This record gives sequence, structure tokens and C-alpha cells, in this order.
Amino acid sequence: MEETKLIELAQNGDRKALTELVKLYEQTVFNFSYKICRNKDKAEHTMQETFLSMVKHLNQFSGQSKLSTWLYRVVSNHCLMLARSEKSNGFTSFEDDDAVIDEKEIADWKVSPDQITENNELKNILDEAIKKLPADYRIVFLLRDVEGLSTEETAKIVELSIPAVKSRLHRARAFLRNELNQIFSEGINP
Amino acid sequence: MSEINLKFDHQLPTCKEVMSHICDNLGEELDSPKCIEIKNHLENCDNCKHYFNSVEKTIEFYKKYNVELPKDAHERLLDLLGLKE
Repeated sequence: MEETKLIELAQNGDRKALTELVKLYEQTVFNFSYKICRNKDKAEHTMQETFLSMVKHLNQFSGQSKLSTWLYRVVSNHCLMLARSEKSNGFTSFEDDDAVIDEKEIADWKVSPDQITENNELKNILDEAIKKLPADYRIVFLLRDVEGLSTEETAKIVELSIPAVKSRLHRARAFLRNELNQIFSEGINP
Repeated sequence: MSEINLKFDHQLPTCKEVMSHICDNLGEELDSPKCIEIKNHLENCDNCKHYFNSVEKTIEFYKKYNVELPKDAHERLLDLLGLKE
């Protein structure tokens, strides 16, 4: 059944349609939550909060945007709230663009992204690197580069201007690349 | 036109400018005539080529690192929402 029909039925109280909508998006929401939180318990909590919001506000959903876009916004907001409440981000200041372009240490990485599925050490390295990014930078990077949304869609979700999204994306890419480069260029073979 | 492109109107880009451009656009606009110097530079500079590859790989790593929703978390979700059959 088409998503718009499922939404319409769910808005009229059809529990089966609502269950279908939850099943349609639970994997995406959980995976995206995990990518922001880097913790399975927090990802589950955020997923639950997201679907509680969806059930509560489904009648207000006009269908003008995609449901997935709306869910990304809810997940992002929950994750931002969680990050702010923890106040544990020891991240670098990104005020200076020059600080994140490191032109001195350029090495060809031998490690392949295909190794990620089976390699827990590599997963830890990726988790630790992205956890150093401020949550709002992390979300922009994940929406734009990892989930493949457009700059415009990303800007709407995080309620930032397009130049602000581009600036965060630039800094996030450079920062993560530098963090991974420190390990991948030292001959560690994850 | 971005600030970085304006700089290239009158002079060849430096490695640092090329790297900055990579982080801005990741090759999206490399076919644009305005960015021809970037393309030329990338073809002839191993350092910048490595930089470009490493930024691309960074994104690929995070794209390929996915987690599956555990079955019990799925059950707890349906239970919480009152949708358990």
C-alpha cells in the first residue's frame, strides 16, 4: 500500500496502518539515531521518543513533506536535546576554517570502507572520531553525506540557512578526515 | 560563485585552497568551468589526490557502518505504542 494511503488510514485511527508505518521506518530511525548517539540504548530511547511523537502528532502531518523528512527532524531534535542535557562534548572549536584543513599530513589510506562490517576495532575508531564533533555538526554530516539528503532538505530539517549547512558540512568533513587520518596514516591496519 | 572560486580567476589554486574546495564540494561541481583549475591541480598533485580520496573514504566508512534494529527493541517499541498484535 502507498505511504500516503497508510498515513491517511492511520490518521483515521487504523491501527494496522499505523503499525505498518512504524515497521516501514523503525530500522531507518534506529540506524540514524545510533549514528548520532553512537550508543544502542540511547538510540533505542530516541527511536521510542520519535515514534511516540509521530503517533501524537500524526494528525498534524499535512503530507507536504515526506514522512521520512519529518522523522529525521524529530530524531535530530531528540538527539540534540540529549546531547545538550549531557553537556559532555569536549569538542574542538570550529570558529577558524584554517584549523581544520591539515595540509601537512597527507597519506594514502590503505584501509578500505568495505572492512567496516566485520571489524569492531574500526567501528570503535569511527565512533570515537565522530563523538568529538558537536552534535549539530554531526547531524548535518549524517543527513547530507551519509543519508544522502540534499543541502536544501538538510537545511530545513536542522532549521539552518543553506550557507550555515555548507559551512558545518565543510568543517565536519575536514575534522573527521583529520581524526581518521591520524590513525590510518600511522600504519595501523584495522 | 563562492569566494574560493573568485580567488581562482586570477591565480592558480594552492593545495590548501584545493583541499578546502574538496571539503566544500567533494567533486560535485568539478565539471563546472569555474573549477577547471581544481581538476587540473587534482590530476597533477598526489597530495591533493590523496586528500580527496581520504575525504571520500571518510564518508564511505560512515555510510557503511550501519546497525540493525534488535528484535527485542522492535517488540518493546510496538508494546510502548500499544500496537502489539
